[in-house]
Amino acid sequence: MNTLTTENKQTLDEKAGVKEVQPQVRVYSPNVDVYETENTILFRVEMPGVDETSVEITIEKDQLQLEGKFKMGAEEKGQVRLAEYKEGNYFRKFTISKAIDSEKAVAKMKNGILELSIPKIEPKKTKIEIRNS
Amino acid sequence: MLFRILDPQTKTNQFWRDFDRLNDELTRSILNDQFGSSSHFPPVNVYTKEDEALVTCLLPGMDTDQIEINVKDNMLSIHGKKKAEDLAEGTEVHRREIFHGEFHRTLELPFRVNQDQVSAKYVNGVLNIHLPRREEDKPKKVSINIG
Repeated sequence: MNTLTTENKQTLDEKAGVKEVQPQVRVYSPNVDVYETENTILFRVEMPGVDETSVEITIEKDQLQLEGKFKMGAEEKGQVRLAEYKEGNYFRKFTISKAIDSEKAVAKMKNGILELSIPKIEPKKTKIEIRNS
Repeated sequence: MLFRILDPQTKTNQFWRDFDRLNDELTRSILNDQFGSSSHFPPVNVYTKEDEALVTCLLPGMDTDQIEINVKDNMLSIHGKKKAEDLAEGTEVHRREIFHGEFHRTLELPFRVNQDQVSAKYVNGVLNIHLPRREEDKPKKVSINIG
């Protein structure tokens, strides 16, 4: 189950009488698969409707942040009969507990799925000698 | 259901009935929170104009040959199978939220469709189906001659 999105928090706040000015953009928490192999961590993120130019991936220390803007086609569509989804932004954040080499991360986008692979690094072992003084 | 108090027969108390109803509604709203409920995969939008309909659906990560679209009269059905990712041996799974398996959706359109001219395209994980209205089904303009 997904966590509360910004939008939900907003409506909850409104019900509780808390007023907070926030932009009227829907924020969706995308579905994610996370796999780990011997030397990489692989994220697969569902972002339908997003092209690679509007995806933003940032890694800061152990914080991974994934963002994507979902815009519907601008063509004239006519009368809305059924609307089960709306445009908005995808946003999700992760904390990675393993040592990773974020410089060497590779991301690609295919058919609305973002694939991000981040190589792991072996934590360096340092042996400390005890000196006798 | 978030949780349920057992033995509903004994619940004559108005409070518990109200509580149950609230519980039901809360659960449903949480389940439907994302892109509609899970029984409605994939989520679709339907738009209509006088002479055509457009159905868009969020279907990320599909092969186009795994999507089957059938049209008969005013019924559109989308059927498909989403394969699970093949994992190399020794892969550890931390999270698996992306749907895989079979799905089936049938939609009723407000008019009959010309089957031969239905076109579909798949861009960035969104499927767009254009359904032109059948010629004999289109509204006809009648001009009135005053004479």
